[in-house]
Amino acid sequence: MSDYILELNNITKNFPGVKALDNANFRLKKKSIHALLGENGAGKSTLIKIITGVYNQNEGKLFLNNQEKSFSSPNEAMNAGISVVHQERNLIRRFSVGENLMLTNLPKNNIGLIDYNTVAKESKKWLDIMELDIDPNTIVSDLTVAKMQLCEIAKALSLESKILLLDEPTSSLSPQDTKNLFVLLKRLVAEQDVSIVFVSHKLEEVFEICDEVTVLRDGKNACESEQITNLNRQKLVKLMIGRDEQIIKSKKNIDFTDESLLDLQSINTDLGHKNINLNLKKGEILGLYGLVGAGRTELIKCVLGLDKINSGQILLNNKEIKIKSPKDALEKYKIGYISEDRKKEGLILMHDVLSNAGITVWSNLKKILSFLNDSIVYNKVDPYVKQLEVKTPSYQQIVSNLSGGNQQKISVAKWLASGTDILFIDEPTVGIDIKTKSYLHELIIELSLKGTSIILITSDMPEMISLADRIITMKDFKVVGETINNHNYEEMSSSIMGNIHE
Amino acid sequence: MNNKIPNFVKTNQFGLLILVIVFICIFSFSTDGFTSRFNIYALSRVVALDIMIGLAMMVVILTGGLNLSLGALGVSAAMFGGWCMETMGIPISITIILVLAFGSFLGWINGFVTVRTGVHSFIVTLATMSIYFGFMTLLTEAEAFRKLPEAFTDFGSLKLFNKYVSPLLIISVLTCFVLYYIFKYTDIGRKLIAAGANPDAAELSGISVDRMFIYCHMLSGFLAALAGIMLTARIGAAIPSMAGHLGFDWLLPAFLAPVLGGTLLSGGKVTVFGTMLGAILVTLINNGLYLIDVGEFWVRFFLGIILLGAVLLDRAREYFTVKNSIVS
Repeated sequence: MSDYILELNNITKNFPGVKALDNANFRLKKKSIHALLGENGAGKSTLIKIITGVYNQNEGKLFLNNQEKSFSSPNEAMNAGISVVHQERNLIRRFSVGENLMLTNLPKNNIGLIDYNTVAKESKKWLDIMELDIDPNTIVSDLTVAKMQLCEIAKALSLESKILLLDEPTSSLSPQDTKNLFVLLKRLVAEQDVSIVFVSHKLEEVFEICDEVTVLRDGKNACESEQITNLNRQKLVKLMIGRDEQIIKSKKNIDFTDESLLDLQSINTDLGHKNINLNLKKGEILGLYGLVGAGRTELIKCVLGLDKINSGQILLNNKEIKIKSPKDALEKYKIGYISEDRKKEGLILMHDVLSNAGITVWSNLKKILSFLNDSIVYNKVDPYVKQLEVKTPSYQQIVSNLSGGNQQKISVAKWLASGTDILFIDEPTVGIDIKTKSYLHELIIELSLKGTSIILITSDMPEMISLADRIITMKDFKVVGETINNHNYEEMSSSIMGNIHE
Repeated sequence: MNNKIPNFVKTNQFGLLILVIVFICIFSFSTDGFTSRFNIYALSRVVALDIMIGLAMMVVILTGGLNLSLGALGVSAAMFGGWCMETMGIPISITIILVLAFGSFLGWINGFVTVRTGVHSFIVTLATMSIYFGFMTLLTEAEAFRKLPEAFTDFGSLKLFNKYVSPLLIISVLTCFVLYYIFKYTDIGRKLIAAGANPDAAELSGISVDRMFIYCHMLSGFLAALAGIMLTARIGAAIPSMAGHLGFDWLLPAFLAPVLGGTLLSGGKVTVFGTMLGAILVTLINNGLYLIDVGEFWVRFFLGIILLGAVLLDRAREYFTVKNSIVS
């Protein structure tokens, strides 16, 4: 008898033209938190889908509690006690928490109607186990993002799951919520006999919470069930990307007493921003830090004319400007915005690479009678797509078929092609693998060295401290601090968090 | 995997083309009059109109919306044209320009109200359908304009190519080429498609989405007005009921052609030549069933079934759309 609850041996999975998994092993110990790591495309999702019965492996065996199993549907895996909590919420937003938790097994009364008292009582039990102070009758859409995440875990527990797969569970959580989640996970493991597979791009979290690590690279094991205590960040990154990580630091001499390129003066907005003052120097990377909900993205959208500015003024080169729309911003003032939500706002997923990369330059390229053909657009955007090393079979490839990293590169490429003077970059590396991430970091620094002025919004503290020249902290739609970045992580992060928690 | 099969074969249009050929074969063998010169000429007159109203609907479906006022708008424009020529004695060429401008204006109203209120165009055009038709009936007192200039009505009954083809069909086919050119080879066409596919992303990429949506509705009004003129020329008079009550008779072919043709109901994809083939298919089936003599109600029954099938096809297409190009 081994003490593994779940064992996958020599798993191979072929897709047309690709070997997604090649003799991969994965062993999950009872009552442990096991990190499953790897770059995008390394085979993590395929492995998870095999564990949860979405795919069947071509070769290799899966053992659950030492018994060989093969799941033909996600339902079978769920009944065997394996649950996944995805990045995307799987709750029905207009139903109550109780209804969501009991959804697959709603208790009925004598005449066959739903027995809401039992729903509340039963779901309360699971919420209590998690020490969650939520009324089961609350409608899901009224919860905070963090609470929704916790409800999903409660839902998984209510299905009597013994194995929980958490896919990037912290990507939309604040540092405080993340801490709470980790306390909870540790308690679940200790008290409820649950074993957890933890997938994350944030290595700090892996070191904080996991016992063992399995790393996949190109479908093979780069390491297998390694004790976390034997590893450090450098070693782990090397396992993931196959080479040492390059630490990037922006080193520039910017005179902050210089005249500002863009100047926001006492801006008040419809969305609730109060008296916002900030200025951007030429060639500077100005960081906007804050927790989710601090109003950073919203501020940028107001500046772009998507929401109303009630008072205050915007100066560009000391001249007051009024930006009516993103079109105005791009065409009149050469200001661009790289959205945090590349799927909804950054890209047109159903269209091909060429039209996505070229969308910002069509207006400039058009000839007489608005004539424009593919080769004109191609000639303009090709250098940028090449520079960013976008991996795509062709320019006719539909963007939704590309990996997240490549999609992000395209949403950056289109703004490089447009040749803007000022770029607002919003969470550029969320859910993106380390290689692409450090590539994008280099690019952002290079852009600023060439004279593009950048306002960078990121909730990733290390990213902020390695890139920004100056960091503005926002909280509750107000500016609460401004610090010149000295690139010392400890000093800067404590100063910024100090600003937030004052 | 399927590298050896040319891409064209995998497209929706190819499937349609096959269907068109199959139906032509079936009807040629099973009916007497199908391949007669008279029938082919009659077909060309009908299909010309079906193509035009299909295109008029297609350009609004592009935005993810609908234009239910299509028929009412087209007839209103046609009646306006009849009034210009008969009552005001305005020359034909100027009348045509005025009618097209009028149609575009009515389309602009649809677009403007849709964009400004944020209400779905389904509701907006349901309302304007009633408004346009009601207003038109009020002004014309439901009287037809039957004394149109001969040069105009003669054009409608002109027979070309050994008397097989109506010039109306040539107008429709030319319109297809112009629209294809606009969507494929112009800045504005690309922006219309981008705005339809993902309004948020298009707006943030510097496209004025509201303006694009209004353009689509104007184009729809323009094409519907053109269809109205063509119908007037075909029957030699402008009659308030020529597209049925509230213009309903146009709605079924207007939906069928683009949806069969491969235009996504959720927007962001146009198929000009698919719409053309879709219209041809609908007209063929219509005509063939009449010749087989199955009766008016069965024809409607079949067209309804085909629309339902086409919508199911649309659902399936959203999953398999991957390989298809945006403009075709």
